[in-house]
Amino acid sequence: MDYLEFKDHKVSPDQFFSYLDSIKNSNTPIVIENGSYNCRVGWATVEKPLMVFKNCLAKPRKERGKKDGEMQVGNDIVNIEAVRFQLKTQFDRNIVTHCEIQEHIFNYMFSHLGINTETVNHPIIITEAFMNPNYSRSCMSELLFECYGVPSICYAVDSVLSYRNESKNGNTGLIISCGYYSTHVIPIIDGAIDAKHSRRLDIGGYHITSYLHRLLQLKYPVHFAAITLSRTEELLHEHCHVAVDYLEELRKWSDGDYYDQNIKCFQLPYTSQSSLTPEQQKERRRELARRLIEINARKREEKLAEDEEQLNQLLAIQDLQDEGEETEFQKAVSDFGLNSCEDLPKMIGQIQARIEKTRQKIVAANTSEDPITEEPKQKIMKFQTPKGEEDFKSWVEGVRRKREEILEKRAIRRQRRSDMAKRKTAASFERMRLISQLARNEKRDDDFGLRDEDWDVYKAINKEGGDTDSEGETEKLLELEQVLKAHDPSFWSEGIEAPGETHRLHVGVERFRAPELLFQPSMFGCHQAGLAEVIEYVLNGYDEDMANKLSKEVFITGGLANLSGLKDRIIAELTQIRPFRSKIAVQVANSPSLSAWYKARDMARNLSWLKSSSITKEDFLEKGYEYLKEHCVSNPYTSSPAPITQIEGAVHNAPSIVSEEIEIDVI
Amino acid sequence: MVKKKAPVFDSDNAALEEGNHMPENTEDNKDERRPVFRNATFQHSTTAGKKKTWRSLKQILAHEKSLPWPKDTPLYSNITAPPSFKPPKKYSDISGLEAKYTDPQTKLFYSNTDEFATVRTLPSDIIAGYLTLRGANNPIG
Repeated sequence: MDYLEFKDHKVSPDQFFSYLDSIKNSNTPIVIENGSYNCRVGWATVEKPLMVFKNCLAKPRKERGKKDGEMQVGNDIVNIEAVRFQLKTQFDRNIVTHCEIQEHIFNYMFSHLGINTETVNHPIIITEAFMNPNYSRSCMSELLFECYGVPSICYAVDSVLSYRNESKNGNTGLIISCGYYSTHVIPIIDGAIDAKHSRRLDIGGYHITSYLHRLLQLKYPVHFAAITLSRTEELLHEHCHVAVDYLEELRKWSDGDYYDQNIKCFQLPYTSQSSLTPEQQKERRRELARRLIEINARKREEKLAEDEEQLNQLLAIQDLQDEGEETEFQKAVSDFGLNSCEDLPKMIGQIQARIEKTRQKIVAANTSEDPITEEPKQKIMKFQTPKGEEDFKSWVEGVRRKREEILEKRAIRRQRRSDMAKRKTAASFERMRLISQLARNEKRDDDFGLRDEDWDVYKAINKEGGDTDSEGETEKLLELEQVLKAHDPSFWSEGIEAPGETHRLHVGVERFRAPELLFQPSMFGCHQAGLAEVIEYVLNGYDEDMANKLSKEVFITGGLANLSGLKDRIIAELTQIRPFRSKIAVQVANSPSLSAWYKARDMARNLSWLKSSSITKEDFLEKGYEYLKEHCVSNPYTSSPAPITQIEGAVHNAPSIVSEEIEIDVI
Repeated sequence: MVKKKAPVFDSDNAALEEGNHMPENTEDNKDERRPVFRNATFQHSTTAGKKKTWRSLKQILAHEKSLPWPKDTPLYSNITAPPSFKPPKKYSDISGLEAKYTDPQTKLFYSNTDEFATVRTLPSDIIAGYLTLRGANNPIG
């Protein structure tokens, strides 16, 4: 079997592009696809997005007494796992709610584009979520107009852009857009979005990844930390598929042979611990000991030098006294921190003794031979291995039997415990009988306890059966196993494991179980209808004629459309939904993740169209912050009505709403 | 630059907002290098006051719902997918296979006897993990 390895793709930081005069002076539009997973940015003149980065930032936690670390945005984050718990995104589900984070992201984009003027003097075309709430748009417009001074903004819907880019006739059709937080089913009728009949399923790539992540963690609790979200994402992108017939696929997998043939095995990185030979280990230990001795010696030397220095100073002071310079002597004594002159000889004596001691120690250390020649004795040595061939065999056999006895005892105990846990087993009936017998209060001569055996009854009614897996027993077992490992070659071969065997993840059913969430949200406790049911619901909203037209032109886009099998699954589901022999055609976007950006770029190149479809600063100030100019790829716009209980001056920031502080963390 | 005055605030509030923002603004300038293209005096109108607060999607939607929209206006909150009308299928928690049985003790689904033996040896945190993953971990009942 082949073992796959996680590639752990590393991202490289985005480069800073230079702000060419041709771009600067010609008001080239900036095309931003602000997706909740990836953000794609580029000038309208370039072939492909200049930057594609994860739409999030990592803000190091504030700690007292520590300087704040740098904030990292998008591809600056080289190792996303290291900052997983500090990741923040501006998105709440698929809607931008946290504009401050969005601002940091914009700063990142614009500075990487090389913009160095006072304002960002370029028209912006940016995508927004389908049916983006007006409030969210007002925040975005405010940010772009007021903070960056952009001349105009054009809002577009990513899935519709993608549809327009790749769909063949592009007038009537059904878009299935599988995003990171949500999946949309959007009918396009005669070129216009039918928002009333559209539906949004709150399941996307994020949910599938987290589900798969958790599944693997529960399957391999030992590798809890090694199974990271990025690795799970890699697994999803490269090895997962959508089952065309889920139950059929499950049946296939329940067969052992099929399982063995199709399982994928992932080798987690590991360091083998037993790669060192005993000789090397010994060498290493010796090396460590030698270093320790050296350190000690150096410390002693230092101490000696220090003491000698002090002694010299004290002797100098004593000389002063001898020479009769009383005042200087007093000053020196007090400088040295001594209380009186009498302390001086005492101190000198102390230091001299200390020096003598240290010297002796050094001599002792140098003369004594290598003190660590003695190896810690192995426990195995306790067992005397018999010399003779026959004796040896029977001895090994004996050890083996002892081990099996212990194991058997344990199994019996376990069985007993599980029997006792249930009420309807023979064992627990017996126990209850004994208890009731004991409890029966008989007036006649009660001689319970006269004989020692009487007390054994308590052993019988104890749930544990009177004794448990004791520590001593476990130790004994380990010891016996060690002996067997050392002396019995056949024992080894039973439990032998290839290096790294314990670090392998076997991924089988999970590969299509996680993407199945799209079709069966009940699998992770979500009560919404699955994608197939939602499509059926949407189609049922139309008359037969229109439903036929729509199912003839189904278009799948969004990141998850990269999963193999999705197209076939949708065809299979539609065949079930639609009447017999209906015509069904499903198309998957060629580049599901990028086609929206390409279309937005193409549309932005048409400057007159862009001008007529954009909101200018005047529009923004005049028609309200939330204003949206409708066009062929935009959301439908209904201006927010005034609240029922109108409060003076409050238009869209009704004070009745209590705002809470929110912090969004990407997990 | 056009002096920003959101229609949201009356003049008192606007003044208050201005006052509150002054120290914060300078602090921001100090500890972060502001890019040149950014308007240095810009403040989000929605984050008046000391604490920067952002409405969550839930709050935004609640607010949106409270407005008297014309009938049949499509909104974020009313294009949510309908609840499922099909009974949910049972799949084994540990293997993912179709499950016929439920272990009464752990409440886990399992599909055959081998799995049952495994289920019974699982530690409680793993059991709870599987139940939570399926959305069935109800600590009360």
